Amino acid sequence: MSSEDTARQVRSSAFVVSARKRKLQKISKMAGESTLLLIASFVAVVVLFIFFFVARDAVPFFQIRGFSEFFTSTNWYPADDPPGFGSLAIIYGSLMVTVGSALIAIPMGITAAICLSDVLPFSVRQYVKPIIEMLAAIPSVAFGFFALVILAPLLQNFGGPILMWTWWLIVSPFLLLAIIVVSELLTANIASEKKRKILHATSLGVFGLIALALLFFVGRKLQGIEILTGTNALNVSIILSFMALPTIVSVSEDALQAVGRELREGSYALGATRAETIVKTILPAASSGILAAVILGIMRSLGETMVVWMASGNSSHIPDPWFNYLESVRTLTATIAGDMGEADQVTGSARFHVLFAMGLLLLVISFVSNFISERIIVRQRKVLSGQ
Amino acid sequence: MNLGTRKLLDRAFTALGLGSIAVMAMMLLVVLVPIVSKGFSAIVFKSTVEHRKMVFNEFHRGNRSALEKEIAASDAARRNVYDMLSRFESELMLMNEDKQQEYTEKYDQVKSALRGLLGPLPGDSEPALTRLTYGQNRWEKAEEKLQELLYEKKWDYSNPDVVAKEYFVSRSAGFEGTSLARLFPYVEKNIDRMLLPEWTFYWGFITDSSVDSHIFGGIWPEIQGTLFLAIGAMLFAFPLGVIAAIYFTEYAREGFFNSLLRSANSTLAGVPSIVFGLFGLAFFINTLKVSESKSVLAGSLTLAIMILPTIIRAAEEAILAVPKTYREASLGLGSTKWNTIVTVILPAALPGILTGGVISLGRAAGETAPIIFTAAVSVGSAIGLADVFTSPTPALSWNIYNLASEHEAAAEIRHVQYGMVLSLISIVLLLNLSAVILRARISKKLKG
Repeated sequence: MSSEDTARQVRSSAFVVSARKRKLQKISKMAGESTLLLIASFVAVVVLFIFFFVARDAVPFFQIRGFSEFFTSTNWYPADDPPGFGSLAIIYGSLMVTVGSALIAIPMGITAAICLSDVLPFSVRQYVKPIIEMLAAIPSVAFGFFALVILAPLLQNFGGPILMWTWWLIVSPFLLLAIIVVSELLTANIASEKKRKILHATSLGVFGLIALALLFFVGRKLQGIEILTGTNALNVSIILSFMALPTIVSVSEDALQAVGRELREGSYALGATRAETIVKTILPAASSGILAAVILGIMRSLGETMVVWMASGNSSHIPDPWFNYLESVRTLTATIAGDMGEADQVTGSARFHVLFAMGLLLLVISFVSNFISERIIVRQRKVLSGQ
Repeated sequence: MNLGTRKLLDRAFTALGLGSIAVMAMMLLVVLVPIVSKGFSAIVFKSTVEHRKMVFNEFHRGNRSALEKEIAASDAARRNVYDMLSRFESELMLMNEDKQQEYTEKYDQVKSALRGLLGPLPGDSEPALTRLTYGQNRWEKAEEKLQELLYEKKWDYSNPDVVAKEYFVSRSAGFEGTSLARLFPYVEKNIDRMLLPEWTFYWGFITDSSVDSHIFGGIWPEIQGTLFLAIGAMLFAFPLGVIAAIYFTEYAREGFFNSLLRSANSTLAGVPSIVFGLFGLAFFINTLKVSESKSVLAGSLTLAIMILPTIIRAAEEAILAVPKTYREASLGLGSTKWNTIVTVILPAALPGILTGGVISLGRAAGETAPIIFTAAVSVGSAIGLADVFTSPTPALSWNIYNLASEHEAAAEIRHVQYGMVLSLISIVLLLNLSAVILRARISKKLKG
């Protein structure tokens, strides 16, 4: 017998399995796989259950009180007789702190993400990323404590000066840059070198004076503002922006990284500077991913409970005027957290069910925005990979 | 635009990005520095003799003879104060009615300020609350109370246009000409002989239970509750999450059902935390009735659902990061798919899976909103392991909220609140740090 024959024999005998055993194997494999599937689909079941059980306790509220009061009235007197369940001011409060935090977090988050993905060298990035992860890891109640115990008294006692200094620190570099660029642009087409220099200097001087005046007068006005309560929408917006930032930065950084080298190199090859490459080429290519990041960040602000509960002041009224961030507000999440203790669970009054109605509202908003951002990310991935 | 301007804009753009990152780092510092520095003052502080009395009486720690010596010394200094009080009282009896009335009110204020500083005065009836049976146990608080004794705070309402301003009036001036006037300089001069301040390292802050709702004592019940809740959540979520991740990475075929499951996962990740609390209340407590009312079990289940998507995602990434060659080698040796997963892929992915688990553990420990309706109570002692199915527990995250905004003496116990925040942040950040180290070691190992 040649060695080849032996080998063939060994090989075939190794795979000889009785029909019964094969069947058993097949059944056990099927059973195993379906168990796995069952456990994996547990997540979907949980999502369905969350919708069902929150809705089940929310529906009685709408049956008792109808829809219009909840969405259009600002009379929130759940404990009075007759009670008022108008939640417009509460919904508005949620909207207000979310928008406020987005106004701070979006520009900062996107610029930080650009810096992380395109500006910083890898060795530095290694040390910056943990900072962002730490910011994300700090529990919300710690942020709430900071807002209530440290930031609120600061705002209340030194509100005017704080606003003034923030205004100066943030606006003056931008104004300086704008002045330089505008003077540069205004005088770029003048042929005579001497004339150009004189005009350039005068325009710098004139715009500089205007800017100084603007800085000074608005600063004075801000300094004169007295903040009556430190627990207000501004405080909450600042802290919520801290919390939304890590999400925005990390998701938009992923989007920027996904754009790939070819576009960047093409743009550099055409002579664009780094800023031009980023603004004109990379940002448009990554825009949908960044939009998804922004939606996720905003959802973090909208769904946050502890910070708004501790530091928003919890007064259910629409500020006067409507954009006054220095007044107390009340949000959906804080109302759910704060009123459940007083609501009568056993009899299941409207007061109990209205909180579930608010939960359902939050759930629907988060579901829709999550769905949208997920679609955006999937589409972008397809576009970038498949062209 | 000329080249100079373009370069300037480019530099400005870079500066903008660096600026935002600097602001983020500053934010982290601004939040962490006061919390860390003041949090440590809950453990390391100048304690008075009252603190040592409290530790001895409530927790039976300390040297009895040394303590008795200290008490004797401080009592000797205090006796003069009490003598002055009784002398003034007999003086008060001899005054006419108008004067008596005038002084009685002021005298009562002095007495209550003294009680706040030194504890009950001789002749007082036994106080009902523990906080009234001891004087100030922290030196910086004692100094505040001393100011309250020496100066009376008044509000100036003379100008109706502005918010009333506070101003201080010396109390001793109010007792000019009586024997009590001597009390104030005496107390000011001898306060450290009466309270005997001394730097203390109070490790009991972590391990003691609280006395009289956190006016004294430590935070062990909260720490234990947090650990129970977080570990309980992991017990449910970790196996489920890892198995689901195995299904998603190894068995799932592309298709409608699979993408549905994935959307469900990201939907779950986006649900606001307070809605998890509502769900836990409506489902685990009101429908399934896992317990009569709030319990550690219900809270753990709610937290488990909340951290499930994070665990699934981390486990998926870890499994996908296992090199393909491992899998091919195992299959090539003739082992079955399941065998390959259990003996080759999971061990290789284990560090990554654990990293995700550790981060989720931190998240479960830090979260407040889901446990408000399902597990947390404001006051309570540490529960035993057998009680987790039936009884609720205090937890760090919830009690930080409760002490900071609902406690009747919130401003008096800021140090306890800071200490709690520091403990919670330490637990969470230490878990995250260990995850970072774990991840660094894995990437080193994978690089070879």
